[in-house]
Amino acid sequence: MKFDMRLFGIAGSVLLAILSGAAHADAAPDMLSSTAIYTQDSKSYLLASNDTGVVAGQNASAGGLTTTAVQPAEYEPPLFSGSNAHKYLGLSTLALVALTAVTAPEEDEGTTPSTTSKTQGTHQSLGRLTAAMAAATVTTGLLSHWDDFAWEDGLTDPDNLHVLLGTAGALLMLNAVSKAPGNGHPGTGIAGGAAMAVAIKLTW
Amino acid sequence: MQNKYKVAALLAGLLSLNVPCALAEDNFGMWLVNFGRAKEVKPVTSEQYRSECGECHFAYPPGLLPEQSWQKLLTAEALKDHFGDNAEMDKQTLEAIRSYAFENSAEKSWYKRSRKIAKSVADGEAPLRITEVRYIKRTHQDIPEKMIKGNKDVKSQSFCNKCHTQAAKGIFDEDTVQIPNYPDWED
Repeated sequence: MKFDMRLFGIAGSVLLAILSGAAHADAAPDMLSSTAIYTQDSKSYLLASNDTGVVAGQNASAGGLTTTAVQPAEYEPPLFSGSNAHKYLGLSTLALVALTAVTAPEEDEGTTPSTTSKTQGTHQSLGRLTAAMAAATVTTGLLSHWDDFAWEDGLTDPDNLHVLLGTAGALLMLNAVSKAPGNGHPGTGIAGGAAMAVAIKLTW
Repeated sequence: MQNKYKVAALLAGLLSLNVPCALAEDNFGMWLVNFGRAKEVKPVTSEQYRSECGECHFAYPPGLLPEQSWQKLLTAEALKDHFGDNAEMDKQTLEAIRSYAFENSAEKSWYKRSRKIAKSVADGEAPLRITEVRYIKRTHQDIPEKMIKGNKDVKSQSFCNKCHTQAAKGIFDEDTVQIPNYPDWED
Protein backbone atom coordinates (compact mmCIF):
# COMPACT_ATOMS: atom_id res chain seq x y z
CA MET A 1 0.00 0.00 0.00
CA LYS A 2 2.86 2.30 0.92
CA PHE A 3 4.57 1.40 -2.39
CA ASP A 4 1.38 2.12 -4.34
CA MET A 5 1.09 5.54 -2.75
CA ARG A 6 4.69 6.34 -3.70
CA LEU A 7 4.02 5.29 -7.32
CA PHE A 8 0.91 7.40 -7.34
CA GLY A 9 2.91 10.38 -6.05
CA ILE A 10 5.63 9.90 -8.68
CA ALA A 11 3.07 9.61 -11.46
CA GLY A 12 1.34 12.74 -10.22
CA SER A 13 4.62 14.68 -10.09
CA VAL A 14 5.55 13.60 -13.60
CA LEU A 15 2.13 14.64 -14.86
CA LEU A 16 2.42 18.05 -13.19
CA ALA A 17 5.92 18.50 -14.60
CA ILE A 18 4.67 17.68 -18.10
CA LEU A 19 1.78 20.11 -17.75
CA SER A 20 3.96 22.93 -16.46
CA GLY A 21 6.51 22.24 -19.21
CA ALA A 22 3.81 22.33 -21.85
CA ALA A 23 2.57 25.63 -20.55
CA HIS A 24 5.99 27.19 -21.10
CA ALA A 25 6.92 25.37 -24.28
CA ASP A 26 7.26 27.23 -27.56
CA ALA A 27 4.56 25.07 -29.01
CA ALA A 28 2.10 26.21 -26.37
CA PRO A 29 0.16 28.48 -28.77
CA ASP A 30 -0.73 25.34 -30.74
CA MET A 31 -2.77 24.14 -27.83
CA LEU A 32 -6.15 25.77 -27.84
CA SER A 33 -7.06 27.21 -24.50
CA SER A 34 -10.62 26.76 -23.36
CA THR A 35 -11.37 30.42 -24.12
CA ALA A 36 -10.00 30.06 -27.64
CA ILE A 37 -12.27 27.08 -28.25
CA TYR A 38 -15.18 29.05 -26.87
CA THR A 39 -14.49 32.00 -29.18
CA GLN A 40 -14.21 29.81 -32.25
CA ASP A 41 -17.39 27.92 -31.53
CA SER A 42 -19.38 30.95 -30.60
CA LYS A 43 -18.44 32.76 -33.79
CA SER A 44 -18.60 29.84 -36.16
CA TYR A 45 -22.18 30.59 -37.13
CA LEU A 46 -21.17 34.15 -38.05
CA LEU A 47 -18.39 32.95 -40.34
CA ALA A 48 -20.77 30.55 -42.04
CA SER A 49 -23.62 32.98 -42.48
CA ASN A 50 -21.36 35.64 -43.86
CA ASP A 51 -19.85 33.40 -46.45
CA THR A 52 -21.19 34.58 -49.79
CA GLY A 53 -21.61 31.07 -51.10
CA VAL A 54 -23.55 29.94 -48.08
CA VAL A 55 -25.84 32.97 -48.15
CA ALA A 56 -26.44 32.51 -51.88
CA GLY A 57 -27.27 28.87 -51.25
CA GLN A 58 -29.66 29.76 -48.46
CA ASN A 59 -31.42 32.29 -50.66
CA ALA A 60 -31.77 29.80 -53.47
CA SER A 61 -33.11 27.05 -51.22
CA ALA A 62 -35.56 29.46 -49.65
CA GLY A 63 -37.15 29.96 -53.07
CA GLY A 64 -36.11 33.58 -53.40
CA LEU A 65 -36.97 34.42 -49.83
CA THR A 66 -34.34 36.92 -48.79
CA THR A 67 -32.47 36.14 -45.62
CA THR A 68 -30.32 38.91 -44.24
CA ALA A 69 -26.89 37.98 -43.06
CA VAL A 70 -25.00 40.08 -40.56
CA GLN A 71 -22.05 41.51 -42.44
CA PRO A 72 -18.72 41.33 -40.61
CA ALA A 73 -17.50 44.64 -39.34
CA GLU A 74 -14.80 46.07 -41.59
CA TYR A 75 -11.39 45.67 -40.03
CA GLU A 76 -10.07 48.95 -38.75
CA PRO A 77 -6.28 49.18 -38.79
CA PRO A 78 -4.89 50.32 -35.43
CA LEU A 79 -4.62 54.07 -35.05
CA PHE A 80 -1.45 53.75 -33.06
CA SER A 81 1.16 51.40 -34.43
CA GLY A 82 4.93 51.43 -34.80
CA SER A 83 4.48 52.12 -38.49
CA ASN A 84 2.19 55.11 -37.89
CA ALA A 85 4.47 56.49 -35.17
CA HIS A 86 7.40 56.32 -37.60
CA LYS A 87 5.40 58.04 -40.33
CA TYR A 88 4.21 60.93 -38.18
CA LEU A 89 7.60 61.39 -36.53
CA GLY A 90 9.21 61.62 -39.98
CA LEU A 91 6.70 64.16 -41.24
CA SER A 92 7.01 66.18 -38.03
CA THR A 93 10.79 66.17 -38.41
CA LEU A 94 10.47 67.64 -41.89
CA ALA A 95 8.10 70.32 -40.64
CA LEU A 96 10.55 71.12 -37.84
CA VAL A 97 13.44 71.35 -40.32
CA ALA A 98 11.47 74.02 -42.20
CA LEU A 99 10.61 75.87 -38.97
CA THR A 100 14.22 75.73 -37.81
CA ALA A 101 15.39 77.15 -41.13
CA VAL A 102 12.78 79.90 -41.05
CA THR A 103 13.68 80.96 -37.50
CA ALA A 104 17.41 81.19 -38.24
CA PRO A 105 18.57 84.63 -37.06
CA GLU A 106 19.77 87.03 -39.76
CA GLU A 107 22.56 89.11 -38.34
CA ASP A 108 22.91 91.48 -41.23
CA GLU A 109 19.43 92.96 -41.25
CA GLY A 110 19.90 95.47 -38.48
CA THR A 111 18.12 93.54 -35.76
CA THR A 112 18.70 94.65 -32.21
CA PRO A 113 20.85 92.37 -30.05
CA SER A 114 17.88 91.38 -27.87
CA THR A 115 15.77 90.35 -30.87
CA THR A 116 18.66 88.37 -32.33
CA SER A 117 19.21 86.62 -29.05
CA LYS A 118 15.50 85.72 -28.76
CA THR A 119 15.37 84.40 -32.34
CA GLN A 120 18.57 82.49 -31.78
CA GLY A 121 17.05 80.88 -28.70
CA THR A 122 13.99 79.74 -30.68
CA HIS A 123 16.17 78.54 -33.55
CA GLN A 124 18.44 76.66 -31.14
CA SER A 125 15.54 74.96 -29.37
CA LEU A 126 13.88 74.01 -32.64
CA GLY A 127 17.19 72.69 -33.97
CA ARG A 128 17.65 70.45 -30.95
CA LEU A 129 14.03 69.28 -31.12
CA THR A 130 14.43 68.51 -34.84
CA ALA A 131 17.55 66.42 -34.22
CA ALA A 132 15.81 64.55 -31.38
CA MET A 133 12.77 63.89 -33.58
CA ALA A 134 15.02 62.68 -36.40
CA ALA A 135 16.72 60.24 -34.03
CA ALA A 136 13.31 59.03 -32.78
CA THR A 137 12.15 58.59 -36.39
CA VAL A 138 15.15 56.42 -37.23
CA THR A 139 14.67 54.36 -34.06
CA THR A 140 10.96 53.72 -34.66
CA GLY A 141 11.71 52.92 -38.31
CA LEU A 142 14.29 50.31 -37.36
CA LEU A 143 11.93 48.78 -34.83
CA SER A 144 8.77 48.69 -36.92
CA HIS A 145 10.14 48.18 -40.44
CA TRP A 146 13.14 45.96 -39.82
CA ASP A 147 11.67 43.26 -42.10
CA ASP A 148 11.48 45.64 -45.07
CA PHE A 149 15.22 46.13 -45.08
CA ALA A 150 17.12 43.49 -47.06
CA TRP A 151 20.67 43.95 -48.33
CA GLU A 152 20.15 41.33 -51.02
CA ASP A 153 17.80 43.74 -52.83
CA GLY A 154 20.68 46.12 -53.46
CA LEU A 155 21.11 49.84 -53.05
CA THR A 156 18.43 50.76 -55.54
CA ASP A 157 15.73 49.13 -53.48
CA PRO A 158 13.44 51.92 -52.22
CA ASP A 159 13.38 50.63 -48.65
CA ASN A 160 17.16 50.24 -48.49
CA LEU A 161 17.63 53.74 -49.86
CA HIS A 162 15.04 55.03 -47.41
CA VAL A 163 17.00 53.57 -44.49
CA LEU A 164 20.33 54.91 -45.71
CA LEU A 165 19.11 58.40 -46.56
CA GLY A 166 16.95 58.66 -43.44
CA THR A 167 19.81 57.64 -41.17
CA ALA A 168 22.25 59.92 -42.98
CA GLY A 169 19.75 62.77 -42.67
CA ALA A 170 19.37 62.23 -38.93
CA LEU A 171 23.15 62.06 -38.45
CA LEU A 172 23.63 65.27 -40.42
CA MET A 173 21.02 67.03 -38.30
CA LEU A 174 22.70 65.84 -35.10
CA ASN A 175 26.01 67.00 -36.49
CA ALA A 176 24.55 70.42 -37.36
CA VAL A 177 23.26 70.84 -33.82
CA SER A 178 26.56 69.77 -32.30
CA LYS A 179 28.62 72.28 -34.28
CA ALA A 180 26.17 75.21 -34.08
CA PRO A 181 26.46 78.15 -33.99
CA GLY A 182 28.59 78.84 -37.02
CA ASN A 183 30.96 76.28 -38.51
CA GLY A 184 28.75 75.85 -41.56
CA HIS A 185 26.01 74.20 -39.53
CA PRO A 186 23.16 75.63 -41.69
CA GLY A 187 24.41 73.74 -44.75
CA THR A 188 24.74 70.51 -42.79
CA GLY A 189 21.27 70.90 -41.30
CA ILE A 190 19.65 71.66 -44.65
CA ALA A 191 21.45 68.70 -46.25
CA GLY A 192 20.11 66.50 -43.44
CA GLY A 193 16.59 67.78 -44.03
CA ALA A 194 16.89 67.21 -47.78
CA ALA A 195 18.18 63.66 -47.28
CA MET A 196 15.25 62.91 -45.02
CA ALA A 197 12.77 64.47 -47.45
CA VAL A 198 14.07 62.26 -50.30
CA ALA A 199 14.00 59.23 -48.00
CA ILE A 200 10.34 59.89 -47.21
CA LYS A 201 9.42 60.47 -50.85
CA LEU A 202 11.00 57.15 -51.89
CA THR A 203 8.65 55.13 -49.73
CA TRP A 204 5.66 57.48 -49.54
CA MET B 1 9.02 90.35 -46.13
CA GLN B 2 12.30 88.51 -45.73
CA ASN B 3 13.53 86.37 -48.58
CA LYS B 4 13.37 83.15 -46.60
CA TYR B 5 9.67 83.69 -45.87
CA LYS B 6 9.03 84.31 -49.56
CA VAL B 7 10.82 81.10 -50.47
CA ALA B 8 8.91 79.17 -47.81
CA ALA B 9 5.58 80.59 -49.01
CA LEU B 10 6.45 79.73 -52.61
CA LEU B 11 7.39 76.17 -51.69
CA ALA B 12 4.22 75.75 -49.64
CA GLY B 13 2.17 77.00 -52.58
CA LEU B 14 3.87 74.59 -54.97
CA LEU B 15 3.32 71.71 -52.58
CA SER B 16 -0.36 72.43 -52.18
CA LEU B 17 -0.80 72.75 -55.96
CA ASN B 18 0.74 69.33 -56.46
CA VAL B 19 -1.69 67.36 -54.38
CA PRO B 20 -4.64 67.18 -56.75
CA CYS B 21 -2.77 67.43 -60.05
CA ALA B 22 -0.58 64.36 -59.93
CA LEU B 23 -2.50 61.42 -58.59
CA ALA B 24 -1.65 59.10 -61.46
CA GLU B 25 1.88 57.83 -61.74
CA ASP B 26 2.56 57.31 -65.41
CA ASN B 27 6.26 58.06 -65.35
CA PHE B 28 9.14 59.12 -63.13
CA GLY B 29 8.34 62.82 -63.47
CA MET B 30 4.75 62.27 -62.43
CA TRP B 31 5.85 60.08 -59.56
CA LEU B 32 8.30 62.73 -58.42
CA VAL B 33 5.71 65.46 -58.21
CA ASN B 34 2.95 63.16 -56.99
CA PHE B 35 2.30 63.64 -53.30
CA GLY B 36 -0.47 61.03 -53.18
CA ARG B 37 0.62 57.87 -51.41
CA ALA B 38 2.20 55.24 -53.66
CA LYS B 39 3.83 52.93 -51.16
CA GLU B 40 1.70 49.88 -51.86
CA VAL B 41 0.28 48.45 -55.08
CA LYS B 42 -1.90 50.36 -57.51
CA PRO B 43 -5.48 49.18 -56.91
CA VAL B 44 -7.49 47.81 -59.81
CA THR B 45 -9.03 50.73 -61.67
CA SER B 46 -10.53 48.90 -64.65
CA GLU B 47 -14.11 47.85 -64.04
CA GLN B 48 -13.86 45.29 -66.84
CA TYR B 49 -10.75 43.70 -65.31
CA ARG B 50 -12.36 43.68 -61.89
CA SER B 51 -15.59 42.09 -63.07
CA GLU B 52 -14.01 39.53 -65.45
CA CYS B 53 -11.32 38.31 -63.05
CA GLY B 54 -13.31 38.95 -59.90
CA GLU B 55 -16.08 36.69 -61.12
CA CYS B 56 -14.09 33.67 -59.98
CA HIS B 57 -11.41 34.99 -57.63
CA PHE B 58 -10.05 38.13 -56.03
CA ALA B 59 -9.11 40.50 -58.84
CA TYR B 60 -5.37 40.65 -58.19
CA PRO B 61 -3.88 44.07 -58.94
CA PRO B 62 -1.64 43.68 -62.03
CA GLY B 63 1.21 45.31 -60.07
CA LEU B 64 1.64 42.06 -58.16
CA LEU B 65 3.29 40.34 -61.14
CA PRO B 66 5.73 41.38 -63.86
CA GLU B 67 4.60 41.74 -67.46
CA GLN B 68 6.21 38.49 -68.59
CA SER B 69 4.01 36.62 -66.10
CA TRP B 70 0.84 38.24 -67.41
CA GLN B 71 1.97 37.47 -70.94
CA LYS B 72 2.06 33.78 -70.10
CA LEU B 73 -1.12 33.78 -68.04
CA LEU B 74 -3.36 35.80 -70.31
CA THR B 75 -3.44 33.92 -73.57
CA ALA B 76 -6.44 32.16 -75.02
CA GLU B 77 -4.59 28.85 -74.76
CA ALA B 78 -3.44 29.38 -71.15
CA LEU B 79 -6.90 30.44 -70.01
CA LYS B 80 -8.37 27.11 -71.11
CA ASP B 81 -6.56 25.66 -68.12
CA HIS B 82 -6.26 28.53 -65.67
CA PHE B 83 -5.01 26.75 -62.54
CA GLY B 84 -7.36 23.87 -63.19
CA ASP B 85 -10.35 25.90 -64.37
CA ASN B 86 -11.52 27.01 -67.76
CA ALA B 87 -11.39 30.81 -67.81
CA GLU B 88 -11.84 31.39 -71.52
CA MET B 89 -13.22 34.73 -72.62
CA ASP B 90 -13.98 36.36 -75.94
CA LYS B 91 -11.11 37.80 -77.96
CA GLN B 92 -12.05 41.45 -77.44
CA THR B 93 -12.38 41.10 -73.67
CA LEU B 94 -9.13 39.19 -73.45
CA GLU B 95 -7.34 41.90 -75.39
CA ALA B 96 -8.66 44.59 -73.03
CA ILE B 97 -7.69 42.59 -69.93
CA ARG B 98 -4.24 41.87 -71.36
CA SER B 99 -3.60 45.52 -72.17
CA TYR B 100 -4.67 46.62 -68.73
CA ALA B 101 -2.50 43.99 -67.01
CA PHE B 102 0.55 44.82 -69.15
CA GLU B 103 0.22 48.58 -68.64
CA ASN B 104 -0.01 48.18 -64.88
CA SER B 105 2.41 45.31 -64.35
CA ALA B 106 4.95 45.45 -61.52
CA GLU B 107 7.94 46.78 -63.46
CA LYS B 108 5.87 49.57 -65.05
CA SER B 109 4.52 50.83 -61.75
CA TRP B 110 6.04 53.45 -59.48
CA TYR B 111 4.21 52.05 -56.49
CA LYS B 112 6.78 50.92 -53.96
CA ARG B 113 5.64 47.36 -53.37
CA SER B 114 5.32 46.74 -57.11
CA ARG B 115 8.86 48.03 -57.61
CA LYS B 116 10.07 45.62 -54.95
CA ILE B 117 8.23 42.76 -56.62
CA ALA B 118 9.73 43.66 -60.01
CA LYS B 119 13.22 43.87 -58.52
CA SER B 120 12.91 40.46 -56.91
CA VAL B 121 12.10 38.76 -60.22
CA ALA B 122 15.16 37.77 -62.23
CA ASP B 123 15.47 38.67 -65.91
CA GLY B 124 13.56 36.18 -68.02
CA GLU B 125 11.80 34.74 -65.00
CA ALA B 126 8.01 34.62 -65.23
CA PRO B 127 6.38 33.37 -62.04
CA LEU B 128 2.87 32.18 -62.78
CA ARG B 129 1.69 32.49 -59.22
CA ILE B 130 2.01 35.59 -57.04
CA THR B 131 3.01 33.30 -54.20
CA GLU B 132 6.05 32.22 -56.23
CA VAL B 133 7.46 35.74 -56.42
CA ARG B 134 10.62 35.87 -54.33
CA TYR B 135 9.59 39.07 -52.52
CA ILE B 136 6.16 37.65 -51.62
CA LYS B 137 7.76 34.42 -50.44
CA ARG B 138 10.20 36.31 -48.24
CA THR B 139 7.56 38.51 -46.65
CA HIS B 140 5.41 35.51 -45.78
CA GLN B 141 8.07 33.04 -44.72
CA ASP B 142 7.64 33.64 -41.00
CA ILE B 143 3.93 32.96 -40.99
CA PRO B 144 3.28 29.45 -39.66
CA GLU B 145 1.46 27.02 -41.96
CA LYS B 146 -1.27 26.53 -39.39
CA MET B 147 -2.35 30.15 -39.95
CA ILE B 148 -2.68 29.71 -43.72
CA LYS B 149 -2.99 26.14 -45.00
CA GLY B 150 -4.20 24.82 -41.68
CA ASN B 151 -6.65 27.67 -41.24
CA LYS B 152 -10.13 26.71 -42.42
CA ASP B 153 -10.93 30.33 -43.21
CA VAL B 154 -7.82 30.97 -45.29
CA LYS B 155 -6.60 27.64 -46.73
CA SER B 156 -4.11 29.13 -49.18
CA GLN B 157 -1.86 32.14 -49.59
CA SER B 158 -3.58 32.72 -52.92
CA PHE B 159 -6.58 34.17 -51.11
CA CYS B 160 -4.74 37.41 -50.29
CA ASN B 161 -7.88 39.24 -49.26
CA LYS B 162 -8.67 36.73 -46.52
CA CYS B 163 -5.94 38.27 -44.36
CA HIS B 164 -5.04 41.51 -46.15
CA THR B 165 -8.21 43.34 -45.26
CA GLN B 166 -7.55 46.21 -47.64
CA ALA B 167 -6.20 44.21 -50.55
CA ALA B 168 -8.92 45.59 -52.81
CA LYS B 169 -7.45 49.04 -52.22
CA GLY B 170 -3.99 47.72 -53.05
CA ILE B 171 -2.88 47.99 -49.43
CA PHE B 172 -0.87 45.05 -48.11
CA ASP B 173 0.97 46.46 -45.10
CA GLU B 174 1.15 44.70 -41.75
CA ASP B 175 -1.19 47.10 -40.01
CA THR B 176 -4.07 45.97 -42.21
CA VAL B 177 -3.50 42.24 -41.76
CA GLN B 178 -6.03 40.28 -39.78
CA ILE B 179 -5.63 36.52 -39.96
CA PRO B 180 -8.98 34.81 -39.38
CA ASN B 181 -9.01 32.80 -36.14
CA TYR B 182 -5.64 34.27 -35.11
CA PRO B 183 -6.35 37.77 -33.78
CA ASP B 184 -2.93 37.85 -32.12
CA TRP B 185 -1.00 36.50 -35.10
CA GLU B 186 1.90 38.89 -34.55
CA ASP B 187 2.72 37.53 -31.09
